[in-house]
Amino acid sequence: MDKTKLWQTVLAQLKTNISEASFNTWFKNTKIESIENKSVTISVPNSFVKEWLENKYNKIILKTIKSIEGDIKQINYTINNNTPVKEKEEKTNFNQMNIQELVVDQETGLNPKYEFDNFIIGPFNELAHAAAYAVAENPGSVYNPFFVYGKTGLGKTHLLQALGNKIKEKKKVKYIQAQKFISGIVSGIRNGTIEDFKKQYKNIDVLIIDDIQFLSGKEKTQEEFFHAFNELYEKNKQIILSSDRPPKSINALTDRLRSRFEGGMIADINYPDTETRVAILKTKAQEKNFYLNNDVLYYIAENVQKNIREMEGVLNKLIIYQKINKGDLDLNSAKKILGNVFKSPVASVSINKIIKAVADFYDINEKEIISSSRKKEVVKPRSVIIYVTRKELEYSFPFIGKKIGGRDHTTVMHSYNKIEKELETNEETKEEISLIKQSILSM
Amino acid sequence: MKTTVLQKSLKEGINTVSRAVGKSTTLPVLKNILIKVKDNFLNISSTDLEMGVKWWVLTKTEKKGEITVPFSTISSFVNLLPEKNIDLQLKDNKLTINCEGYKTQINGVSSEEFPIIPEVKKDKSISINSRLFCEGLMQVIDIPSPSKVKPEISGVLFLFSGKQLKMVATDSYRLTEKTVNLENSVKSDFSFILPQRTAREIVNIFKEENKNVDIFFNSNQILFELKMDEVDHPKTQVSSKLIEGNYPDYKEIIPSKYETQVVLNKDEFLNKIKAASVFSGKINEVTLKIDTKKGELLVKSENPDLGDYNANIKAKLEGDDVSISFNYKFLLDGLNNIKSSQVLLGVNGESNPGVIKPIGKDDFLYVVMPIKNN
Repeated sequence: MDKTKLWQTVLAQLKTNISEASFNTWFKNTKIESIENKSVTISVPNSFVKEWLENKYNKIILKTIKSIEGDIKQINYTINNNTPVKEKEEKTNFNQMNIQELVVDQETGLNPKYEFDNFIIGPFNELAHAAAYAVAENPGSVYNPFFVYGKTGLGKTHLLQALGNKIKEKKKVKYIQAQKFISGIVSGIRNGTIEDFKKQYKNIDVLIIDDIQFLSGKEKTQEEFFHAFNELYEKNKQIILSSDRPPKSINALTDRLRSRFEGGMIADINYPDTETRVAILKTKAQEKNFYLNNDVLYYIAENVQKNIREMEGVLNKLIIYQKINKGDLDLNSAKKILGNVFKSPVASVSINKIIKAVADFYDINEKEIISSSRKKEVVKPRSVIIYVTRKELEYSFPFIGKKIGGRDHTTVMHSYNKIEKELETNEETKEEISLIKQSILSM
Repeated sequence: MKTTVLQKSLKEGINTVSRAVGKSTTLPVLKNILIKVKDNFLNISSTDLEMGVKWWVLTKTEKKGEITVPFSTISSFVNLLPEKNIDLQLKDNKLTINCEGYKTQINGVSSEEFPIIPEVKKDKSISINSRLFCEGLMQVIDIPSPSKVKPEISGVLFLFSGKQLKMVATDSYRLTEKTVNLENSVKSDFSFILPQRTAREIVNIFKEENKNVDIFFNSNQILFELKMDEVDHPKTQVSSKLIEGNYPDYKEIIPSKYETQVVLNKDEFLNKIKAASVFSGKINEVTLKIDTKKGELLVKSENPDLGDYNANIKAKLEGDDVSISFNYKFLLDGLNNIKSSQVLLGVNGESNPGVIKPIGKDDFLYVVMPIKNN
């Protein structure tokens, strides 16, 4: 008879001999841990129960077990303390920050609040979600590596963490931010403890690295990561990565790494549509025990389009307002409160900003771009500057020419047309330009 | 069972074990206390299956015996008796109490039903002055809060290392560390996590004493023991389960340097925050604005219904200007546990933990997370 069934039978028989109060007190959360060498080990929740069973019930338990499994000679008791803690109701306000190190699970690095259940699916993230789910069901075998990309604030981290949380029961999971991974390697090199650092990654089943684009330009880290990657990959261990751009648009990434990233499944997360945004807002509000009418929800959803995190910030603002003022919130007061937030001036774009953003993106000197150099590395960025400036600021070609090192307007036009043509055929350039535009806005 | 005991002693004993009398209705005998008479000692114990308290007094044993009686009944009754000798006698599960004309019989329940309070092997031990221990513990005891995700942080961490004992507590919003100096250094470092409830009761039971408490423990059980003055026998024992698991590496959380550093008069700071709390509204938000040019710290709070509040404190400031918001209750909890007249407030930007600690003494540290500015 297997141990669960055996213990059930024993308990059923004991129940008739013992008062209900005692039975509930002393036999709750007990089970047979193991049966070997004619002795049974029973796990109990605390040492009170251990003392009691040892001293008062040992005989009767042994007798009952013997009547089922004749050859058992001895019973041992072991304490297995995993009774759940009763949690006090959360009263602290949600803007109160907490000490991250204490919230995340130290072993896995995962925050348990991220689950698949509270991940909202819409057309924009369907594919990523489905793939993540498949990976969670069969880690290491379906999509390996699994690469998710999408703009900031769209739920990459949520998806990755939910995935990790789902697997962590069965497999050894390690979640780490790329920045932390890098600083781990740097301090490992500095302190000569790099081997210890590497060891951490040898025995895991699932490695999740968030924001892998930060590896860009960190050659030593890329090399270490490459080795770790190969080692895990060869052992059929699951690797999950996220980034704000597809692998081919991550700059200064060695080719061997890029090709590995592209070797599995790549899924992207787009911007959510209005309906999905409303659904997300509803869920978030519900999590915070807060009610908002549909008008207000649509008002927020229509005004914050590209960032779920920002949407949450707006929601928090309304909640605070309502907490202080009580009463229901209608569309008008929501407009009053949020008017300033939404009307806040759009980050102004200037040609200098564009030059700086492009120079940063391609990792070249600003001066070099406006110099007369015709090196290939400089020509492309220069053309990009021209294209973006024309598109964003609608400056005339002669003016743009003057601004970037006194060039003739025909040269400028040629560069502009070249990029425009390239955009039709070359995905990579398209991606680069959209990233550059984004970085200009965040300057 | 037959013995005689002073009313004062019996009252003290019942009072001591009252801390662990169970409230649960699942096992009614937990609401009873166990009275035992044996070998010149009267022994009273109580337990709620998480912790247990045992207490002894020397008495002349005429006849040994043991019984459990309802705590509330015997406690109320003994409290009303005059300070004279009390005769205790047991007959057929009924405890007879005689004292100067007062006579009562309390119906008891057989001691067979009473849980056995687990023993701890007395091999690993440490001895510490009870007053020093309790005073230190009181400075951190209110911080932990039950956590489902991390049961480890719902208790107080005791970290013995060299000649120091560090007591650490956190509720994930703030973290506090108290350092107590030991008389003798420990042979090897060790640590355990004590449930908050036990820690509270330890303080209640031992804070009035000024003697050494011996601490014994194994991986899941701990025993605090106070000896009798007269003979080498325990007077009070408190045993409790320990919280298993590893306490988070809390040292990582404590900032090692500050971008902004303020030295303030503690009482002034405390009072100005208390005043700010009147206007801080439901979310308890108080903003501290540090202006190094003016050399002052501004305490601000506002409430759309009530009005707003501004106060400035002249202080010694160093580093960057910053504006940071806290839950005033968290600030007060930290400041109230600081005994020095001057305090240091260290901040690293508006969204990183702030630190409050006493000036002149390095035995207390309080880390607090800010409220996000909107």
